[in-house]
Amino acid sequence: MIRNRPWRKALIALFVAVLAFTGYHAVRTVSDAIYWNAHRDEPIERWMTIGYVAHSYHVPPHVLHQALNLPLTPDHRPLGRIARDSGRSMTQIEEKLMYAIVHARPPYPPPGPPPRPYMRPASSTASPAK
Amino acid sequence: MTDQLLELLTTYGLPALFGAMILAAAGMPFPSSLTLVAMGSFVAQGEFSFWPVIFAGASGAIVGDQIGYAFGRYGGRPLLSAVTRRIGGADKVQQAEAYSRKWAGWGIFFSRWLIGPLGPWINVTSGLTEYPWVRFIVLDVAGEVLWLLIYVSLGRAFSDQVQTIASLLGNLTWVIVGLLVAGLLGWKLFGRSTEVSDDTA
Repeated sequence: MIRNRPWRKALIALFVAVLAFTGYHAVRTVSDAIYWNAHRDEPIERWMTIGYVAHSYHVPPHVLHQALNLPLTPDHRPLGRIARDSGRSMTQIEEKLMYAIVHARPPYPPPGPPPRPYMRPASSTASPAK
Repeated sequence: MTDQLLELLTTYGLPALFGAMILAAAGMPFPSSLTLVAMGSFVAQGEFSFWPVIFAGASGAIVGDQIGYAFGRYGGRPLLSAVTRRIGGADKVQQAEAYSRKWAGWGIFFSRWLIGPLGPWINVTSGLTEYPWVRFIVLDVAGEVLWLLIYVSLGRAFSDQVQTIASLLGNLTWVIVGLLVAGLLGWKLFGRSTEVSDDTA
């Protein structure tokens, strides 16, 4: 127990601040849990790969490759690099992906199978597909 | 900045993970929980294998922890004794050291995975108080491997919601840290008076 008055006051202030901080994060934890349970779509970020976006949004990857005019081969580059390599902004990439995602989900008909053999290794991935 | 770092990680894979974990463990602000959960998701998608990710991440973190420990031991300790020689307070320092030695083992283990944000600090104080290095490294390895296993497995299990999981884990961690600090402060403030040297806060 601390008796020294100014010290005690400072510690009480700190104690209240820590409680507020903890409460704030508790509320955010609960909201994250709700979010998680409801599975809302996560915002697309530049570190994500096409594979991750397809996985997270539950759409077939070839739909996203087509949306970005990329060859239908596995592409492990993060979106930020795809944007730089193709001279587009991240916003443009995001818009194209979102457009394709929306149109690959109900009420739109499910997208067809990939047009060509999908999993063929390719050396150059930066050039447009068609 | 965070985005660019994560982008490097997706581009360069395990070596980047190793490097990032060194920096994070040494105290650089870095979204390590998001990184690990994202790695778990990439494992689920077949881009990486599980054990190499655990190995690369844990060994990076362990190396980073040694940096903090060495900093405390070979940089901080001489500085501390120089300060106490000048302005006194060596007895206070000794008291604080005795106190921290009592709890250091738990602190080292739990700050690896449950209360991660305290990790870099505890590395430095462990070195500063000359916590035995062999014991430090045993607890460190156990804690870091546990951390990697938990976070990467969660990312693998819920691989389509990486950001939500990482945010949840981050907030939960801060709640635990907050409760711990509030508990300590509350005990100091409102605990039963024992009248024995309580002034080493």
